[in-house]
Parts: sequence; structure tokens; C-alpha cells
Amino acid sequence: MAELYVKPGNKERGWNDPPQFSYGLQTLAGGPKRTPLTKRVAAPQDGSPRVPTSQTSPGIPPVGPPPPLSKGSRPPPVGSCPASGVEPINFPVIESETLLEDVLKPLEEALEDCRGHTKKQVCDDISRRLALLREQWAGGKLSVPVRKRMALLVRELSSHQWDAADDIHRSLMVDHVTEVSQWMVGVKRLIAEKRNLSSEEEADEEKSTATVEENQMAPGVQEAP
Amino acid sequence: MATYLEFIQQNEERDGVRFSWNVWPSSRLEATRMVVPLACLLTPLKERPDLPPVQYEPVLCSRTTCRAILNPLCQVDYRAKLWACNFCFQRNQFPPVYTCISEVNQPAELMPQFSTIEYVIQRGAQYPLIFLYVVDTCLEEDDLQALKESLQMSLSLLPPDALVGLITFGRMVQVHELSCERISKSYVFRGTKDLTAKQIQDMLGLTKPAMPMQQARPGQPQEQPLVSSRFLQPVHKIDMNLTDLLGELQRDPWPVTQGKRPLRSTGVALSIAVGLLEGTFPNTGARIMLFTGGPPTQGPGMVVGDELKVPIRSWHDIEKDNARFMKKATKHYEMLANRTATNGHCIDIYACALDQTGLLEMKCCANLTGGHMVMGDSFNTSLFKQTFQKIFSKDFNGDFRMAFGATLEVKELGVGGTSQWKICGLDPTSTLGIYFEVVSQHNAPVPQGGRGAIQYVTRYQHSSTQRRIRVTTIARNWADAQSQLRHIEAAFDQEAAAVLMARLGVFRAESEEGPDVLRWLDRQLIRLCQKFGQYNKEDPTSFRLSDSFSLYPQFMFHLRRSPFLQVFNNSPDESSYYRHHFARQDLTQSLIMIQPILYSYSFHGPPEPVLLDSSSILADRILLMDTFFQIVIYLGETIVQWRKAGYQDMPEYENFRHLLQAPLDDAQEILQARFPMPRYINTEHGGSQARFLLSKVNPSQTHNNLYAWGQETGAPILTDDVSLQVFVDHLKKLAVSSAC
Repeated sequence: MAELYVKPGNKERGWNDPPQFSYGLQTLAGGPKRTPLTKRVAAPQDGSPRVPTSQTSPGIPPVGPPPPLSKGSRPPPVGSCPASGVEPINFPVIESETLLEDVLKPLEEALEDCRGHTKKQVCDDISRRLALLREQWAGGKLSVPVRKRMALLVRELSSHQWDAADDIHRSLMVDHVTEVSQWMVGVKRLIAEKRNLSSEEEADEEKSTATVEENQMAPGVQEAP
Repeated sequence: MATYLEFIQQNEERDGVRFSWNVWPSSRLEATRMVVPLACLLTPLKERPDLPPVQYEPVLCSRTTCRAILNPLCQVDYRAKLWACNFCFQRNQFPPVYTCISEVNQPAELMPQFSTIEYVIQRGAQYPLIFLYVVDTCLEEDDLQALKESLQMSLSLLPPDALVGLITFGRMVQVHELSCERISKSYVFRGTKDLTAKQIQDMLGLTKPAMPMQQARPGQPQEQPLVSSRFLQPVHKIDMNLTDLLGELQRDPWPVTQGKRPLRSTGVALSIAVGLLEGTFPNTGARIMLFTGGPPTQGPGMVVGDELKVPIRSWHDIEKDNARFMKKATKHYEMLANRTATNGHCIDIYACALDQTGLLEMKCCANLTGGHMVMGDSFNTSLFKQTFQKIFSKDFNGDFRMAFGATLEVKELGVGGTSQWKICGLDPTSTLGIYFEVVSQHNAPVPQGGRGAIQYVTRYQHSSTQRRIRVTTIARNWADAQSQLRHIEAAFDQEAAAVLMARLGVFRAESEEGPDVLRWLDRQLIRLCQKFGQYNKEDPTSFRLSDSFSLYPQFMFHLRRSPFLQVFNNSPDESSYYRHHFARQDLTQSLIMIQPILYSYSFHGPPEPVLLDSSSILADRILLMDTFFQIVIYLGETIVQWRKAGYQDMPEYENFRHLLQAPLDDAQEILQARFPMPRYINTEHGGSQARFLLSKVNPSQTHNNLYAWGQETGAPILTDDVSLQVFVDHLKKLAVSSAC
């Protein structure tokens, strides 16, 4: 779901700036780690520098082409990192043009739901930011990935998938902060307020927000007796 | 010794411990004769996805001078429900809740596989995490904009209950009152005058601590945080206003004339931050995060004046005692660091500038409190942005990796009392070097059972705000060095020893002259070789070291050339930065810093580690070098020509495309995992950036001896540094000589 990409660093401002990984890549949980590069070779005890096992003649023109694939005597030393320089994964269901109203309308409706339960000032602040979002969108100031991800966020919000919506907001803040910073915090707050509202409404199924469990555990037993 | 390597590795994976010697000499005299001290590297909060914490409190030995924690080394009488402390031999009764235990129903803490175990403390109030941003506004426009955006972004990464505050500074220092009102208020302080904690607290109106009068009941949800202050508010309440406030931050308005530096009052800003937290939230986890784009130029803690024509001190200046502000500034920051540590808080320094920013004087703030030190060229770089994001990265449980307010206790067999240290900021890779002294008399019999034991107890505040205790209990065999030297030798961990000795060397280098430290290091190496080498007297060619020592001289050779001991190639700030990270990383990363890793990619097989030597630089190879601070990819001459010719785009040469990609993929994996983000250098034969590789490799072929070895492969290095071969030759001569 998240975008997985790598951008080059800012060469103008920082010499040797490392590449920038998208939020999706940064939060990828572990994944199949290849053998870490941590081995060393001991220097030979008799002191002469080790001669590499095979060596081509010391380069310099004229030099022939590299061994072609068809010769295939040895397997190519492939590193198969799953997300190396991959293009952003396309979302399966989004239509080609994300419409402004498809995003703004549900957000404004969500805000209306919150009025009455949330302080007026907070609602006004959120409303102000949604207006800013509308203005920037309509003015063509938002890039395609941002618009696509907002559509996805709104879908998750409408389906009450609070964590997923929150995660998308975070990925947008990390990957596109310049575009979204002015109004995204309003969307973030809206998600939080809707979440609170809905858990108040579902009083029977209200989950405890405790971070510490009250269970008395008998020693050595991993679950309650 | 294959079995010892496995033993060492298993112990590190399970307990986060690496000892220099895994069989311990039984007397003090013998221990000193072994040259490398008995010491260990401990990673107290090593990530253990396979170790869920237990939800009860540890059982303690009842002897008040002991208080060791029940562990797998204790003898247990299941019938009588008694246990014998393995440290003081006290017999203790199990608490009532343990009545059901038996040989087949053991509590986790008695099982050998739980030599490391973590307890969650249910009692006591839990306080939210606190983040106080201290932001320099004397930055260039696009730098300030990038920093503002990073700070706004961080509000989305912080937990909603965390408290956040903002202090900005330039010529003046502004403490921002965070409220949901439309009008923003701030308290302005002069940047020239330091104030005591009490004065700061009075001026900010903090007459009493903001902690709640009653303790929160355990296990109750904190629906509304009971704690806050006007200056530190919960993220979920203040995020919109703070986002706006950050967005509106301007560059410091005081004009900077030609030939001058901006007036930056870092010393006072930090002082106010420390005083603010001291007065509102003492003794709970908090981070002061200092973001600075240049050196402090006024007030206490100033490191250089505002005249640009007077440069900031270099190592030469310091050597010649020509650093006017250094002593006073260092004292100021040391005072702040000590107070911060006493309060249980930590200070991070994020310094992004092309010139130095005073890390040398301010380093104690990060080093004494367990805070981070990040050094970059600009806030508008991926290096800063991603390093900063990584601070808020989450582990496999969705918790932050940072921990606060830790105390580490070390308990040993037979010694009265324990030793305790305070580490206010900790993460899963933080590693301490602990040095032991064997106190048994010479010729005293080896203690009964033949084993020594040590227990490490780390109490800390987890990022979920729970209080936890991590307990690691280990044992190793004692041995009589006279009769069992071979056993002791076989159990030597050369990697751990190298890092532990290196840490000692760097510690010495901070107070002694550089050449003295090198002499000391050399002397220790010669003594070690004399004791453990196999040789015929006066015959250098007969000298041999066993496998467990074979890499050690190489480590020492590279350590001598490293930026930790060779400071004149770097600025004082750079040296402070490198040493900061060296002093806290785990063994694998520390070794990379001492002796960088070099891997070679070619058509001749899978990527393989190669000697860090100029002979490894070949035309048809791609090299990947990891120094921890830099990742360097270097294309050999032939590879460059093939790439220029475009073979990677031809389908029948797809394997060449794979070859070019392989080191990039491996580099990417390192870059994703490492904190702080390293610099990334993609260079080739003849490239100007190739100097990063050339300066690290052993110069076995130099312009002095290019044809001496009888082969002409590899790239010669233009240097007069002694090579590893020459170093080892000298070492052998000295080791076998009776004169030493």
C-alpha cells in the first residue's frame, strides 16, 4: 500500500548526501535480510600482500567486452533487494484522475459529524485547513502522488480504519512535507476526533486505552491461568 | 577454535555481552600479565524480538547488602520453596505467589535460556515522554524552511500523549508558551547573561513542579494527562497550533553585517531549556533536542567571536593553547550536562553547517546524558532529514526504540556492594564498556565450582512509558593462568578485546598527548604478542599467533590510523563526532569503525570480503567499503570503461547490469538500517572522491615500493604511512627480542 521508492540526496547542499528512502521503505519490517557484510580477511602471517585468486591483466585500453550472459559459466552476483529503486507501486483501484470533491466532501462531512462533540475552536482550525487544502488542490499545487494518497486516506477514514488512515497521513508528512505541512495536521486531527467520536458512540464495544494490563500473571506462565 | 566462536556468538545474541576473555584468570597478578584487561561490552537493551517481557516483578535476595535478582545460576530447593543466592549464598524463601513451582513447572527466570529476561513494573505512575525543541533561527532561509518542515513532520511521528515544547534562539532566547489561544505568547531572555535554575523558573512563573499531587492509580488509563505545563503540552492538543507556530518562525531579525557571524546564544538557550525541565518534570524521561546551524558566538558557552576573520579553533590552535574560549565554554556545557543527567533527562545535538558548530565544547551534553549527536552540512539534506526521522523509528512491537532514565547495576560474585551508573538516554544499540579488576590473591585456590558470575540489572523507562527491568546473569570459568594458559588463550575474543582496548585508547587520547597514546597502544600490543605468540627467541620469522589472536594486530594497525586517534586530518568537531559514536556503538559497528569492511564484486563469484589493502583495488572489480560514517562504492578502471560503452543496456550483457546493481543493493540495505545515516560516495578509478577509499586501505604499495614486491597489480597509494607489512615486521622483531 505504501509507496516504496528511493530518491537521490541533495547533492547541492550536502556533498555525498545519501539517497532518501520513502516512508514505506523505512517502515518495512525487517524483511529477508541477506548476510550482513561484516566479514574480514586476515592478513597473511608471512607478510606478503595476498594475491587475488584470479586477476585480469591490469585494465587499460584496449580492453574487450565483459563476459556475456550466454557464456553463463558462473551465476551473476545478484543482490536481490526487494525494493531497490522500484517505481511507486500503483494502487489497484484508483481511477486515473482523483477528483477534488471525492476527497474534500468526505472530509468536510466528517468535520460536520464532529461538530457538537469537539470544541468549536478545534473545528474552526480544522475547517480552515481543509479550506487551504481545497485551495491548493484546485490551484493545481498538489502532485499526483499526494492526491492519490489523499483519496486513499479518505477511503480508509470513511471505512473507520483509523490506524490505516493515520499511517497514510504519516507517510504523506514524511514523503511530501513541503506540499502538505500547512494543512495535513488538520486532517490528522480530524482522524483523531472521528476516532474518539466513534469510540464514544460504540460504548458497548469500547476498548480500554490502558497501556498497562491489570492481569496478575503467575510466574513462568505466559498467559492467565 | 570453531566452538569458541559459536559460544561467543550465541552469548552475544542471547545476552548482549562480549567479554575480552571468556575464561577468567584467577588472580590479580595473572590478570595484569594478560595485558588486555578483563572487560566486557554490554548492550543492555539489545533488541530481542523472541523475548517477551514478563508481567511481574523480580524476586530479590533478602540480604540488604546483596539484593541480587533470582536467576538460572541459583540453587533451588523446590520442596522447601527455598533458593540460594549465587552471589552471597543467602538462603531465601520464595514469595507466596511461587508456591506452585517445581522442577517441571519452573518460573521463566530460572530457566537457562532466560539468562536475559525483562520484567514490567506494574506499580507507580507512568509519565508521558517529553520532547523540548531548542531551535537556532540564525539559519539561511532554505535551511530554516527545511528544519521547520522536519519539526512539523515530527509532530506526526510523536505519540499523541507526548509533551512537546519549543524554545527558539538567535541573539535572544524565546520560550514559547503553547496554548490553543489565537494569540501566541513567549518569554524573551537576553542571550548574553546566564541565569540560575531558580531565576529561570521564577521568570517563567514555574513556582512549583507540574507533577500531579496524587499518584495515578496503576493500570488506569490516562484519558487526560494530568501533567502538563504552559510550556510543555500534549501533542494531541497542541499539534495544530504548534504547526502554525513553527510555520511562522522567521530568521533571527538582528542584522548580520559583512564580515560577521550571527550572534547565537546557544549557551543561554540550553541553560533555559535545562532549567525549564528541571522545574517542571524532574526525574522522568525527557529529551532536549538542540538544532543549531553554527557556533555559539555570544554569552556563556560561546565558542568563537563574531568576527569572521578569526576562525574557530583547530587542533593546531588547541595544541598551541590558542583556543581562547574553549575551557570556559566546555565548563559551561559540562555544568549543564551534569544537571541534566541528575534530572534524568538527555540532550541531543543536531548540528548542520558547513563550518564547525562547537561540538567539541558541547559534546559532554550528548555524551554524559546519552543523547544523540548528529552532524551534517545543512538541514536541507537527506542525511539530516532521514537521520532525524530514524529517531522516531519503531520496533517490531510498534514502540519507539528510545529509552529513558536508565540505571545500570553490576553485581559480581564475592565483592561487597554493587556499582551503579546512570544513563539517561538509551537505545537498542547503546553499548557500554565495563572493565573489571580481579581481586583474588595470587596462588589463592580457584573458587568452588570454578565459575564466576556477574549480573547486570538495567532499570529504565520504556518508550511506552512503562517502567521495566532487564536482568542479564552470566557465568564464566575461572582458570589458573600458570597451568591452564592454553584454555585462557583459546577463549580470547579478539574482536571484543580490540574494541575494549580502543575505547581505553580513545579515553586516554582525550587527556593525553596523541603520540603517548600510540606508544601505549603499541606497548600493549608488543606485550600481548610476547605473552601469547609462539616463537623462538630472536627469530622474527618464527613468530606465529594462534587463530584466536590472528586478527588482533591488524585491528591495532587500523586503530592507529583511525580518526579516533589521528586527529589532525579532521576538525575538533569532526573528531568529537566520530569519538561520540565510537563510544556507544555495539561491537560489530565499532569494529567497522576501527577497520572498515571491504567487499569485492566481480564476475568471478559471489561478493567476497577482501583485505583492506591497496592490492584489492583492481580494474575489473567493484569495491564496497563501509567505514560506518561513509559508504563508498568504487568502480575499477575496466568496469568504468564497460559502463561508458553501455554494456549494461545490452540484453546479452545483462549480467554486467546485475554486477553494477549488486553493490548498490547491498549499500542500500546498510543505509536503511544505520543510525546515523552515513554519507554515500559513489566513485570510480580516477575520481576525486576515490580518496576516501585510498586513504583507508593499507598502503602496501606506495610510490616508495611499487616494484619491490615483484608484482604490479593493485593501485599504488601516494603516502608515507607505514604499511601493515612493515608494522607487523617491526612487531615481530620487538616481540621476539629479549631486550623488551
